[in-house]
Amino acid sequence: MQENSADRSQTGRLLVLGVVSVVIVLGLVLVIQAVTAVSPTAAEPEAVNVLANSNDDCVTCHRNATPGIVEQYGHSSMAGAEVTCRDCHEVSADYPDAVAHEGTFVLASPTAAKCEACHQAEVAQFNQSRHSIPAYVAYAGEEILTPEQAAAYHAIPEGGYVQEKMKARNSLHAMEGPAITRFACETCHNVGKPASDGSIGQCQDCHLRHEFSLEQARKPETCNACHIGPDHPQWEIYQESPHGIAYATNGDTWNWEAEPGTLAVTDFPAATCALCHFSGFGSTGTTHDVGDRLTWFLASPISERRPSWQDNKVRMQGVCLECHNQNFLDTFYNDADLAVEQVNQWVAESDQIMAPLQENGLLTAAPFDEPIDFTYFELWHHWGRTAKFGTWMQGPDYVQWHGAYEILSDLAELREEANQRLEAAGLEAGE
Amino acid sequence: MTYLALVFPALKNRRLPLTRDQLMLLMAAFNEIMLGVDTYLAHVLNQTILWREWIPIIFGPLAGGLLLIAGLVALRNRLLAARLATLVFLASIVVGVLGASFHLIRGILPTAPVGSRVTIPLLIWAPPILAPFAFAGIGVLGMSAAFRETPPDSGTLEVGRTRRLHMPYSKTRAYLFLISLGILATLLSSAFDHGRTGYTNPWLWAPIIVGVFATAVSAGLGAIRQPNKGDILTYLVAIGLLILAGIVGGLLHVQTDLAGESVIVPERFLRGAPFLAPLLFANMGLLGIIALLSPVETPASD
Repeated sequence: MQENSADRSQTGRLLVLGVVSVVIVLGLVLVIQAVTAVSPTAAEPEAVNVLANSNDDCVTCHRNATPGIVEQYGHSSMAGAEVTCRDCHEVSADYPDAVAHEGTFVLASPTAAKCEACHQAEVAQFNQSRHSIPAYVAYAGEEILTPEQAAAYHAIPEGGYVQEKMKARNSLHAMEGPAITRFACETCHNVGKPASDGSIGQCQDCHLRHEFSLEQARKPETCNACHIGPDHPQWEIYQESPHGIAYATNGDTWNWEAEPGTLAVTDFPAATCALCHFSGFGSTGTTHDVGDRLTWFLASPISERRPSWQDNKVRMQGVCLECHNQNFLDTFYNDADLAVEQVNQWVAESDQIMAPLQENGLLTAAPFDEPIDFTYFELWHHWGRTAKFGTWMQGPDYVQWHGAYEILSDLAELREEANQRLEAAGLEAGE
Repeated sequence: MTYLALVFPALKNRRLPLTRDQLMLLMAAFNEIMLGVDTYLAHVLNQTILWREWIPIIFGPLAGGLLLIAGLVALRNRLLAARLATLVFLASIVVGVLGASFHLIRGILPTAPVGSRVTIPLLIWAPPILAPFAFAGIGVLGMSAAFRETPPDSGTLEVGRTRRLHMPYSKTRAYLFLISLGILATLLSSAFDHGRTGYTNPWLWAPIIVGVFATAVSAGLGAIRQPNKGDILTYLVAIGLLILAGIVGGLLHVQTDLAGESVIVPERFLRGAPFLAPLLFANMGLLGIIALLSPVETPASD
């Protein structure tokens, strides 16, 4: 009887122990939160200089020689992950472009082959992209490629698709000469330049040395370095688009350091260049192939569908669908396709205007030596592209006044100039 | 004493085809294999699996396989099987401690300014220091299961043909203490992982509450020499909550990883909410139930 009574009195002892433990732990958590005023979202580790007290030879010497680089690298996640200077810079004595340096051999600027040691997938995706060899060929021409590079180039969608008229850009590069092009075309287009070790491209063009910051690589300003100006004004178009306005308004609150592959609308409530073209978002996985989600060769004079454009469309729409519904996207894609076809018609019309001049020898053989060459080139290279980019990126002013209007203006100019030349040659003028 | 029979008297004379220790060893083998898989998934993220990272990846399935073989050997020679299993579990402890030290080193910034070398955010964002201890935990639990306790619930283990090891607690109570430690490790691991989100989602507090409750109750039950029906009932509630938290957590993690329109994007499962992690709660729950089974060695078929 007594035993039963004791048993009853102890019935809830474990329950009490468990509940008291929960209360104590939760209480402690609340006290810690109150004392430290924890922010609503956990901050990532502060970017401390992890090399501040390093006595590594490279760090010690370069802290005096190039302190900016050491400071930047000390704040990088790569330094935090114990990737050393040597891991990226040090090579064997017989490595292409190796430079003797303080008893070892280094690459002044590590190539994509060095990045590939850790980032195989990213480099493989990049090598398949328009940012790879096609970017380089755009100014240097295809002839400069080795047979292996040429084969790789032709395996890339843009490499297998170059309209003859596009090669005019190579003439411009030759005309301007290295004193100019070194600061012009090459600055951007070397993103796909082959290196001496056979690897392709310069990862650091987008992932600036030496911080290699996710935020920097993801911000539209990084793309702005090249995608700006009359021939591809994506930066300007983005700024006037609803996505760009959202970025200008609240971009400073977005989660720029979010773990790759986990991005959601809570991190990025509106689109950026990286989000649409590279980031894993919605049902679409991360890529370093900038053309992976595109449906048209928009940069071409007359745009055609890209290979597997239907798959690309699904991937791009996988991103869009996080905010837009399928009806919106279907309507938008149909309308944008019509706009591309309209620009195609205008560019085709410019070709028809120029054809009799070419057939009858009424143009000089040299490229870009008379005003009509520039008008004909700008019509597609500047205004045609701008109208198409403006359409897809929702920049109305760039579709209208910097696009369609300029095309129509150039068409009128071409028509008048062509008729004058034909009449002067005693030939029948066009309409 | 069969703890479960206190609550369910009908179970007093019921036996399962496998003994409690055999079930524990099966769970240990399963855990070793899953730890190998989980380690691979966690380490494959950065695309570069260093030589030392291959140790747990290879060891996990290898240990699981060896334990299953030991289980077969035990049908003919229990002592040999126990020694083989003990070797595997000792190795598992070494792998766990080694891994934890690698993770700890990786989480420390040795040349950062003093005060920034070891920080709470680093514990949250760096490789989880506690995770490799799962190997060590399974090792200790498995070693407890490997040797026969004679007589049952006496705390005396047969470690040789004639050698006996007298433990301060019975095997059942030792299991309960180990399970309590396992739940605590699971709880801390979950708390640190969820720390990345800032706990803005109130559901993230659930595993903490359940984990603390189950840790305290398991340890409490282990500390009681003669538990009563209420104690066992409370423990079963705690174990039930653990299993529920594991299953619901797993589903919530999968839901988080599913992209828009429920499309499966592999990288979201690898880099997003780890879908296997919450199942550790359920795993501890299962071990917790097994601990309550009869300590008598002879299976029903005997």
